[in-house]
Amino acid sequence: MATAFAFGIHRSTLASPPPPPPLSLSLCGAQIGEIYSRMDALPDAIIQYILSYVDNARDIAVCNCVSKRWKDSLPYIRRLYFPRNSFENNAGRDNPDDVVWRMISSIVRLDELVVYCPFSSAGLASWLSLVSSSLQRLELRMDNLAEQQPCLETPSKLDCIDAAKDLESLKLWGVLMTCVPKWDIFPKLKNLEIVGARLEGPALSSAIQACPNLTSLLLLGCEGVRSVSIDLPLLEHCKLDFYGLGNCSLSLTSPKIESLEVQGCSWIRVRETNCLRNLSISNNSGRVYMVDFGKLAALEFLSIRGIQWCWDAVSKMLKWASEVKHLYMKVEFTGDFEALQPFPEVDLVDFFNSHPKLQKFDVHGAMFAALCQKNSLKNIDTGFTIPCLEEVAITVRSPLNAEQKMGTLESLLKYGKNLKTMVIKILQMKSSHSSADDFFDEICRFAYMNRKIVRIE
Amino acid sequence: MASSRKITLRSSDGESFEVEEAVAVESQTIKHMIEDDCADNAIPLPNVTSKILAKVIEYCKKHVDASKAEDRVNDEDLKAWDAAFIKVDQVDQATLFDLILAANYLNIKSLLDLTCQTVADMIKGNLFPVRNEWLNFTFSIANRELVLVCLTEWVAHRRLFCS
Repeated sequence: MATAFAFGIHRSTLASPPPPPPLSLSLCGAQIGEIYSRMDALPDAIIQYILSYVDNARDIAVCNCVSKRWKDSLPYIRRLYFPRNSFENNAGRDNPDDVVWRMISSIVRLDELVVYCPFSSAGLASWLSLVSSSLQRLELRMDNLAEQQPCLETPSKLDCIDAAKDLESLKLWGVLMTCVPKWDIFPKLKNLEIVGARLEGPALSSAIQACPNLTSLLLLGCEGVRSVSIDLPLLEHCKLDFYGLGNCSLSLTSPKIESLEVQGCSWIRVRETNCLRNLSISNNSGRVYMVDFGKLAALEFLSIRGIQWCWDAVSKMLKWASEVKHLYMKVEFTGDFEALQPFPEVDLVDFFNSHPKLQKFDVHGAMFAALCQKNSLKNIDTGFTIPCLEEVAITVRSPLNAEQKMGTLESLLKYGKNLKTMVIKILQMKSSHSSADDFFDEICRFAYMNRKIVRIE
Repeated sequence: MASSRKITLRSSDGESFEVEEAVAVESQTIKHMIEDDCADNAIPLPNVTSKILAKVIEYCKKHVDASKAEDRVNDEDLKAWDAAFIKVDQVDQATLFDLILAANYLNIKSLLDLTCQTVADMIKGNLFPVRNEWLNFTFSIANRELVLVCLTEWVAHRRLFCS
């Protein structure tokens, strides 16, 4: 079963950072000449300001040779970026670590350093000793995922990062973190991103403990984590993507958390959720069986996705998210054990009465099929409405229970007084029976009769 | 409701532009002039032509409108507007560089950032390929001959491009 991440990133591309955005402007020779002349007419301070936007090491090397004024402006650059191929075809002339060192040493005050080309820990240590007092942002392609014996170089590249005490943002690609990194504390670190990593629980916990003031934490494509406990008092945004069997346990204690996305966990506990506005839980390879969130009073957006969730987990999430405005549901099966079970019926009236603020509703396949009326509409007082609902997106996959499904569609339209659009996506009808065609015809007829609101994709 | 006091700005070529105070004070220079009470009559801007002043006012007005609470423009929409405003085929180089000088003189940081970033992008996109040896001996050029070698090559390359 293909395991594409919830966030749409495939593992094969995670080992390397994204290429820089394409340079959008391509000018002819005369225009380039004109730029150079016009720049000459500007005051020094503005030349410096313009050149401070040039951060690619190769571009800087060229700018250094354009004119003396340009060369004199380059020490004021704030950001330095070494792309992956910076030293290709180097023919072993100068050590790349030394070249980087030389460039950094000529800069007065470096705020940000991005290095995607290969380097050694000795090199990293030498660079950071130059800029430790000013460096705010550091991004490194560690590139040591393939190493079998991680703790070979001492100090390791991870250990060296400790020298940059004033860091506010740290991004690491392709990290092997099986030993506890020798980090003291990064008091100013607000943003930590690790993409494509092999981690071990204690190493990860200890790394996070060294960053007590984090407001944003991103762990993507991380393998090897079984259980993680995060205790960060200032954390507001958290995105976790654990690769593997989908059976990780997560415990998060961050009273200020506003936005949380989790992929690959089967057990999730987040106690303090007074500020939580966006919540997205998905699991493409395992079964979600325990969720503990407390009352989600501020929640505006909830997304639940996966192959299998225990029914208890689903119903609890729906119960807690009573204030939600946008709901996305795409779980294929329920069931408490290995066996995949279909969903029990969910009464439509109860469902919408318990989510009165719902404005946008995305529901897929099996979960849509579970919505039904259970005859309650015959007994309902005429006051039932779905007041706030404006947009609905439904994915239909099978023609089973066609009548019930049509009933649901019609009820949504009838009771959703403010409904503006309903999009029905019809995917690979599972049966090649004529019932599939009949069902399709019925939907088309329904869409046609309500074409101001309904459309099929 | 914010005061809708009008300020008159006069360009170097004698044209007058009436703008709301909120728009005018996007320029820190003009803001200080108003605070220092020099703005009873028109504020003269001898360094800015009417053509450029019109564009600067257009930019400031858009940014002031974008931040008004009732009609909050999406950050991305504003960025798209900025990109269209400064687009290279629509703004000739002379105008672009004049905008830089005007934004600097009038002290409008966001406009200065936008225009300088645009020029930087033009430079970045059109630097000719670097021979890898250059990375090694740049920043350590003390040797005059090496400098001459670099410059000669660069000049030759420029001739190739600019002819």
